[in-house]
Amino acid sequence: MDILAELVIALFLVVSGIFGLVGSFGMIKLRETMQRLHAPTKATTLGVGGVLIASMLYFVVVKGSFSFHELLITLFLFLTAPITANFIAKTFLQAHARESDLPSTERSHGWALFDDAPSEKPDA
Amino acid sequence: MSSGSSLLPIIAILPFLGALVPGLMIRAGRTACATFTAAPTILALVMLGVLAPDVMRGEVIEARIEWLPQLGLSASFFLDGLGLLFAGMILGMGLLITLYARFYLSGEDPMGQFYTYLLLFQGAMLGIVISDNILLLLIFWELTSLTSFLLIGYWKHLPEGRQGARMALAVTGGGGLAMIGGMLILGNIAGSYDLTDILTQGDAIRASEWYLPALILILIGAFTKSAQFPFHFWLPHAMAAPTPVSAYLHSATMVKAGVFLLARMWPVLSGTEAWFYIVSTTGLITMVLGALIAIFKDDLKALLAFSTVSHLGLLTMLLGLGTKFAAVVAVFHIINHLTFKAALFMSAGIVDHEAHTRDIKRLGGLARLMPVTAAIAIVTALSMAGIPLFNGFLSKEMMLDAASETVWAGSHLVVPVLATLGALLSVAYSFRFISHVFLGPVRDDYPSKPHDPPFGMWAAPGFLAVFVLLIGILPATIVGPLVAVAGGAVVGGELPYYSLKIWHGVNAALVMSMIAVAGGLVVLLLHRPLDRLWQAAPRPEAKVIFDALIDASAALSGWVTRNLHNGSISRYLAIFVVATVALGFAAWNGGALAPATRPMLPIPAVVAVGWVLLVVATVLVVTMHRRRFQALVLIGVIGLMVSVGFVYLSAPDLALTQISVETVTIMLLLLALHFLPKHTPLESPLWRRTRDGVIAVGAGVAVTGLAMAFLTRDFSTISDYHLANSYTGGGGTNVVNVILVDFRGYDTYGEIIVLGIAGLTIYALMVSLLTGPAARRLRNTDYSQDRSRDRHPLMMVVATRAMMPIAVVVGIYIFLRGHNQPGGGFIAGLVISIALLMQYMASGFAWTQARQRIQYHAMIGWGVVVAGLTGAGAWLAGKPFLTSAYGYIDLPGIEEFGLGSAFLFDLGVFLTVLGAVMLMLYSLSRIARYAGETVNVEPMDYDPSKRVEAIRNGGE
Repeated sequence: MDILAELVIALFLVVSGIFGLVGSFGMIKLRETMQRLHAPTKATTLGVGGVLIASMLYFVVVKGSFSFHELLITLFLFLTAPITANFIAKTFLQAHARESDLPSTERSHGWALFDDAPSEKPDA
Repeated sequence: MSSGSSLLPIIAILPFLGALVPGLMIRAGRTACATFTAAPTILALVMLGVLAPDVMRGEVIEARIEWLPQLGLSASFFLDGLGLLFAGMILGMGLLITLYARFYLSGEDPMGQFYTYLLLFQGAMLGIVISDNILLLLIFWELTSLTSFLLIGYWKHLPEGRQGARMALAVTGGGGLAMIGGMLILGNIAGSYDLTDILTQGDAIRASEWYLPALILILIGAFTKSAQFPFHFWLPHAMAAPTPVSAYLHSATMVKAGVFLLARMWPVLSGTEAWFYIVSTTGLITMVLGALIAIFKDDLKALLAFSTVSHLGLLTMLLGLGTKFAAVVAVFHIINHLTFKAALFMSAGIVDHEAHTRDIKRLGGLARLMPVTAAIAIVTALSMAGIPLFNGFLSKEMMLDAASETVWAGSHLVVPVLATLGALLSVAYSFRFISHVFLGPVRDDYPSKPHDPPFGMWAAPGFLAVFVLLIGILPATIVGPLVAVAGGAVVGGELPYYSLKIWHGVNAALVMSMIAVAGGLVVLLLHRPLDRLWQAAPRPEAKVIFDALIDASAALSGWVTRNLHNGSISRYLAIFVVATVALGFAAWNGGALAPATRPMLPIPAVVAVGWVLLVVATVLVVTMHRRRFQALVLIGVIGLMVSVGFVYLSAPDLALTQISVETVTIMLLLLALHFLPKHTPLESPLWRRTRDGVIAVGAGVAVTGLAMAFLTRDFSTISDYHLANSYTGGGGTNVVNVILVDFRGYDTYGEIIVLGIAGLTIYALMVSLLTGPAARRLRNTDYSQDRSRDRHPLMMVVATRAMMPIAVVVGIYIFLRGHNQPGGGFIAGLVISIALLMQYMASGFAWTQARQRIQYHAMIGWGVVVAGLTGAGAWLAGKPFLTSAYGYIDLPGIEEFGLGSAFLFDLGVFLTVLGAVMLMLYSLSRIARYAGETVNVEPMDYDPSKRVEAIRNGGE
């Protein structure tokens, strides 16, 4: 096996492992829910991404075939992680924050959580 | 088999087929309806006429169709003399009753219904008398109880009708239950359930130690049906029925069924002391008691009802005597009783119909007002009294003759004296019927001015009255041969010496008869003071006792049910788990456990981690279950770990199923939790939690032990068979799927039905929830604090829309490949439901629902129908239900997939799963909207594209 390819794959695995560890550690270390939200959504997503790249390289270089699975997993990961985080944040705000606690949006409309969506008519 | 035998099953089925007709023909008018009711009866009668000559020659016609041979149940029929007599009576009387009822029923009575019940009853009765198989006989026996219930309760608006019908059903149905036991014992002794076999084994049966239990049980059945003391009370209460029903049930059919059975079983069961004492004593008591009560009844029909009880007692006594002569007399009296009693009932009905009362005290002098009816009634009542020249005289003479020679417990006097007393009383009530209703001065206070009815109404009783006279004068010519052949069938051999003629010379019977007539006249003259005495005397009231008994048993069963089935599911679970563990422990104690044959495997680190996760999550669920959301998250963890376990143990099908089930469950539970308290309060005391803990730990240890015992030993399972036959037998390489849709297709079929029922039940529960007190709580709870303004965020909506086609394709893919690779209808159904669930979550249920046109109820139904039809399709190929056929299809572009009946079956599974899940979601959504959730018009709260468009349109 190509030693270079092996090294690259190993590098990706190690880096992704570090990201995963950091993400998990962040869950414990960070105090606030809103802060804690960053750990799994960003660090861990990167970590999983690294494993996926390593896996693709492994199949292309070592097995000599192309694997689509990783691409699909990436797609779903990129789709679900932000939406999940968005929902957790919304729920948190809904349960724990008052409208007055939040900074102003500096627009004619307030936060979506507390204000109805703007109507279709253009702003006056 | 003779040539006519094929007619027998047709005769048996005709009334049942005919029962469909009146309900339709009533639209064509009442006369048409009656005519078409008569048609099947006439047809059956004609067929019987075709068979009659053979039977009269002494042949026995048999027909046999196997039904459930494993149980010894076959639809076999036979026609001998007794059967011919009864079948003729049932059909002939049925015809007369049809005619009579046409004129009797008023315009307000639903006549079609009446004729349908009548034909059903007629079919059931006919079945009893021509059944060869005693199991089949029992079926018809129960059918008579059920159909007579319908007939007696025909006037549903009358409480007496409903109560009388219930009482008749309870008594005769209970008796039928006893008879089932008796018949099964009898069949066991004889080694066959065919009457023709049983009838030849009389000696073996009488010698068997099971003879007495069988006899008693069968007698209970016969006595309840024939209204013998102490079960006689239901018959008078059944008089609440319309008169045609009374005339039919209580002269020719229903009550005669018991007598028929005694006659049918006579060669087998009679001839022992037990038979003699039980049957003849019961008969004697019933005869005297019934006649005594009849004298003091003022209601015409009640008088006739008790006289029927009395005459049934007479028949029972005759059969109980055990002599061949008495048995032949019984057969003769059955014919005579039919003719005069049916005519009497019909005359009473005519009186009631015309004078609008049946109270004897309000009647009298009707002979001048309605001469024809009076003539018929007087002729038949004289026959009932046993006056010479009428047929009742002949059989009563012979009965007294038989009684005079009977010795009861060493006494020569008991039976003759009691028989004479019975005859005397019967003379008394017959004469009372004549003199108090028809003779005497014409009164001017009848509720309605009576006059003779139209011909159609008196034709039937008139016809019977002619018969009464003909048999009375020329007995040997008219019914001689029939009595001979029917009597021969009862006694099962040589006929005894008897002669059907009026004058036998001066003998004991004649003297007894003269005493009876003279005594009867004396009783009639003394009726007024006797009646006062009778009314003053305390008597047990059967209905009160019966009602008290019924109430008591209802209270008892209610008490038992409430205590065993109190609605606490934890109690049921505790009982079930403890019982199972106890049984398992007993089995473990009892049987020797073979030594373990497999060594323990090493535990890899990854597995250990998974195991720890699983255990920790499980323990946390137990400790944290009062906080419901956290518990739900933990349950999700457990579900995922179990799926991982399935993957690790090479069970991809189960893993896929587990993951999709887990997802759907968690989603639905989350939605449901929204409306529930977020915490479970601590309600049970410590001792109960301790008890439950002990039970749970015990069960857990037991299951672990069982699993260990199996895992450490080699044993042969059915898996080997499944693996070997999956491809060759089921046409699929995915053994799990082949098991589901083929090997265990019946199970799967049952399961999808259960799943569909569960979905519908949740829907039904939701509907009732929204009308009960829970609905008020729901309305009054304020959910606005939990509710975001941003219910349908843009990001979620767009993402789920994009995911929808992908998820659907995945679902279809999983569905198509299911037979050969992991997948199948169940998983596909769940995957598609998840795809839809996402849409519903993103844009709200109501918005989404408005965009699809499939009814989820219907989807469940179609799923079951498709699966069922697929299974039934195997019948077309002459194979058993759910046998699968298969082939392969190679569509260009996608890989080859199996297409077989299993595929369609899987489609049914798919539809049911999808329908059930979506119906559950729908139910939750209904609750949400009830709780104040509004329905959105737009798919998402804020649609930037619309805003851009609006700005463009509106201009800067």
